[in-house]
Amino acid sequence: MAPAPELLPYQRIREDLFRPLSRVSRRYVLATVCAFVVGAAGLAAWAYQLRRGMGVTGLQRPVFWGFYIVDFVFWIGISHAGTLISAILRLTDAAWRKPVTRAAEAITVFALMIGGMFPIIHLGRAWLFFWLLPYPNSRLLWPNFRSPLLWDLTAIVTYVTGSIIYLYLPLIPDVAQLAEHNTPWRRKLYRALSLGWTGSDREWHALERAMKLMACIILAVAVSVHTVVAWDFAMAVAPMWHSTIFGPYFVAGAIFSGIAALLIVMSLLRKVLHLETYLTPHHFRNLGKLLLLMSLLWLYFTMSENLTVWYGNEPKEMAVFGARTRAQYAPYFWIMVVLNFVIPFVLLGIRRLRTIANTTIAAVCVVVGMWLERFVIVVPTLANPRLPAAASSYAPTWVEIAITAATFAAMAMLYMIFAKLFPIIAVWEFKPHPPEDE
Amino acid sequence: MYVIGEFHEKERAAAAIRTLRAGGATAADLDVFSEEPVEFPRGVLDRPSRMSLISVSGAIAFGLLATGFIYWAQHDYRVATGGMPLFSFWATGVITYEMTMLGAIVATFAWFLWESGLARPRDRSAPVPMVDPGSICLRVRCRAGQSAHAAEAMQRAGATGVERRES
Amino acid sequence: MSITYRWGMAIDLDRCTGCEACVVACHAENNLPVSTPEQAAKGRTAHWIRVDRYYEGEFPDVKVKYMPVLCQHCDNAPCEPVCPVHATYHNPEGLNVQVYNRCVGTFYCANNCPYTVRYFNWFEPEWPAPLDLQHNPDVAVRMTGVMEKCTFCIQRIKRAKEGAARDGRRLADGDVNPACVQSCPAEAMVFGDLNDPESRVSRLARNGRATRLLEELGTKPKVFYLQKVK
Repeated sequence: MAPAPELLPYQRIREDLFRPLSRVSRRYVLATVCAFVVGAAGLAAWAYQLRRGMGVTGLQRPVFWGFYIVDFVFWIGISHAGTLISAILRLTDAAWRKPVTRAAEAITVFALMIGGMFPIIHLGRAWLFFWLLPYPNSRLLWPNFRSPLLWDLTAIVTYVTGSIIYLYLPLIPDVAQLAEHNTPWRRKLYRALSLGWTGSDREWHALERAMKLMACIILAVAVSVHTVVAWDFAMAVAPMWHSTIFGPYFVAGAIFSGIAALLIVMSLLRKVLHLETYLTPHHFRNLGKLLLLMSLLWLYFTMSENLTVWYGNEPKEMAVFGARTRAQYAPYFWIMVVLNFVIPFVLLGIRRLRTIANTTIAAVCVVVGMWLERFVIVVPTLANPRLPAAASSYAPTWVEIAITAATFAAMAMLYMIFAKLFPIIAVWEFKPHPPEDE
Repeated sequence: MYVIGEFHEKERAAAAIRTLRAGGATAADLDVFSEEPVEFPRGVLDRPSRMSLISVSGAIAFGLLATGFIYWAQHDYRVATGGMPLFSFWATGVITYEMTMLGAIVATFAWFLWESGLARPRDRSAPVPMVDPGSICLRVRCRAGQSAHAAEAMQRAGATGVERRES
Repeated sequence: MSITYRWGMAIDLDRCTGCEACVVACHAENNLPVSTPEQAAKGRTAHWIRVDRYYEGEFPDVKVKYMPVLCQHCDNAPCEPVCPVHATYHNPEGLNVQVYNRCVGTFYCANNCPYTVRYFNWFEPEWPAPLDLQHNPDVAVRMTGVMEKCTFCIQRIKRAKEGAARDGRRLADGDVNPACVQSCPAEAMVFGDLNDPESRVSRLARNGRATRLLEELGTKPKVFYLQKVK
C-alpha cells in the first residue's frame, strides 16, 4: 500500500512533480505530432471556408447554426471544470482538491480559448469580427449592446481574464522555485513569470487573500457565463429554445461535462506522468460521486424541459419535440440519454463498479453525450421553424468535422505544452501546512 | 544591518517575533520567508489588508462606467430596433454584471501585485535568504548596535541558525 | 394625415394562383443570385418572396393553399434587436432595413425570424450568361457572408419619393409598387401607405377577411393576408 502523499518527504514530492518538466519521451513527441497534423487539417479547412464562403459547410436555411455553435457551447461548458473544482472546493477548504486544482484550472483556460474561437469561425464574414467590439470608428457606429451576442462577448472576455489570472496566481510560487532550472531559456521564462517572488509573508498573505477573492469572483462569473451562452438560445422566439429553464440547464450541463473532462485529463496524467501516488483512487471516487450527482441533476433538467413541452402539446413545439425524440434526431437524443445517464448511473452508482477505469469510461461517455446534447438542442429547433413549409434538415460536411476534430487536437497540444512547462500539480499547495497549534 | 534566523517550528518563530517586537522592532522591519504560507496566531505579525475594499470599489466603479458608456453609446447613434427602447437597464444588465466582475478581477490582481510588493520598487540591498523546504526564515532589520541583541533573542527562541548580514 | 409613410402590403390568397411570377420578378429586380441544382438540393436557394404550398386531403380531393411569404417588415421585428452590429434596423417609414455592408454574418437574425424569410449568401453570387448582363443598377450586389431579405423594393420607393419631391407633392396611392406587386397577373397583391386611411392597402387591411401570419407572437407584421377563414 503506497504511503499517503502528504507523508512523503518533501524532496521526493518535488522530484516527482518536477520530473515531467525535464524529460521529453518519444510518446510525447508522437502525440504532439499527431495533434499538430489534426490541428493543421482543421486550419486548412477553415482557410478553405474563408476563401469559398460558408457554403462549404452543411448549413442551410433554416438551420443557420450547426456544428460550430454546438462546439462553442460544448467547449465553454468544458471550461467549467476548473471553476467548480478549484473555486468551490477552495472555498469549502476540501483537502482532496489539492492535486487537482491546477489541472482543472488549465482545462478552463484552454477550453475558453478554444471555445472563444468559434464565435469567429462561424461568422459569414469572419474577418470583420472586430466590429462587435466598441471602438471609436469613422462611421461613428457602436455595436448593439441589446444583442445577446454582445453579452456573450463581455461574459467570455471577463471569464478568460479571470481564469488566466486564477491560473497564474497559484503558479507564481511554483514558478519561483523552478527559476533555478538548468535550461537558460527556461530560467529566464520562470524568473520573468515569478515577478521576483521571494516567499515573504507579505507576499503569501496577499496571495492567499487574492486567491480567496478570485475564487468567489470566478464562481460568480462562471455561473453567469454559461447562463449568457444559454440565453443566446433562450432569448430567441424559436420553438423549444424560448424556455426559461435554459440558464440553469446549461450551467448544470457545463459543470457536468467539466467534471467529466477533468476526470479524463486526470486519468491520462496519472498514467503518463506516473502520478499514481498523488492522484489516488480517493480522488477518482470523490469526482466520480460528483459526476453521478451531476448526471442525476442533468436528467432532472432534461426531463423537466421535455415533459412540460410534451404535456403542453403546442403544435410548433411538438414538431421540434417529435423531431428530437421520435423522428430524424431520435437516435442522437436516445444515445445521449444512455451516455449521460444510464452508463454513468450504472458505473458510478454501484460501489463495486466505481473503479478508476470505469470512472474514466463513464467520463468519456458523458463528454460525448454532452456534445450530443448540445447538438440535439441546437439543430432540431432550427430544422422545424414556425412556418412548416420552411422545415429542412442538416448534415455536417468535412469542413465542420475537420475543424471540430482540430479543436480537440488543439486542446491536447496546449495541455501537453503546459504540462511540460509547469508542474501539473501545485507543489506548494500540495505540501501540507505545518501543523497548527491550538 | 539584517539579522536572519532559521527556525524549524512555527511556535519558535512566533516567540522570536514577539520578543523582537517587544524590543522595539516594527512589523515593517520584520519579514518571514518560507516555501509555503505560514499562519501565525493573531497579534504576532498581522498584515492589514485593503484588498476586499479595493476589489469591491473597482467592481462598482467599472460596472457603473460600463453601464454609463453603453447608455451614452446607444444614444450617440440612435438605431431603432424591433420596437425596443434604445437603452434598457435589464437588457444591459448582463453586461453591467460582467463588467462589474471584470472590475473586481482586475482590481484584485492589480492590488495583489501592489500589496505583495511584487510590483513595487524593491529594496535591492535587503538580503533574501535561501529557504530550505520546511524551514522558516525570520529576517529583521535593525541598527548595527541592536544586531547582537536581536541575534540573541532569536537564539533563545530556538533558532537553528542565526547570521548577521550587512545590507 | 402624417408626413411619414408606413409601407404595408395586402395579399389576397383567394386570388393567388401560385404562378410564382412574383418570385421571378423579385429575382430580376433585386439581383438575386441564381443557384445551381446541387445547391438547390441542399436548400441554398434565395427567394426573397417564396410561395409556400400547403396541401389538404388526398388525391383526387386535394386542396392546395398558396401563400406568398416575404419579409413582413414587422413593427416589433424579433430579428432587429439581436443583431450585434446594427446591420438590421427599423427605418422611420416602417421598413425593416438590412445593411449589407455592415453584416458580419452571425445568423442570429435569421434564427429569430419566425417566418424564415431571411436568406444568406453562401457563396459569391453567380449568374449564368446572359443573366449577368441583366443586373438592376439601383440595387447592390451582395458578397458572400451577408444576410439579405425582401426590402419592399426600397430602391423603387426611393426613386418614387425623389420624383414626388421634385414635383412638390406626396406620393399618391399606387405611385410605387414593388416588383412582385407589379408582376402579379391575378392582381392579388396590393402595396401602399398604411398611414393613409384611404389607400387601397389600408382599406383591405380593415377588411373582414384580413389576417396576419403568426400574429400571436406580437411581431406586428405589416403584410395582410386576405382569406376566407372557415
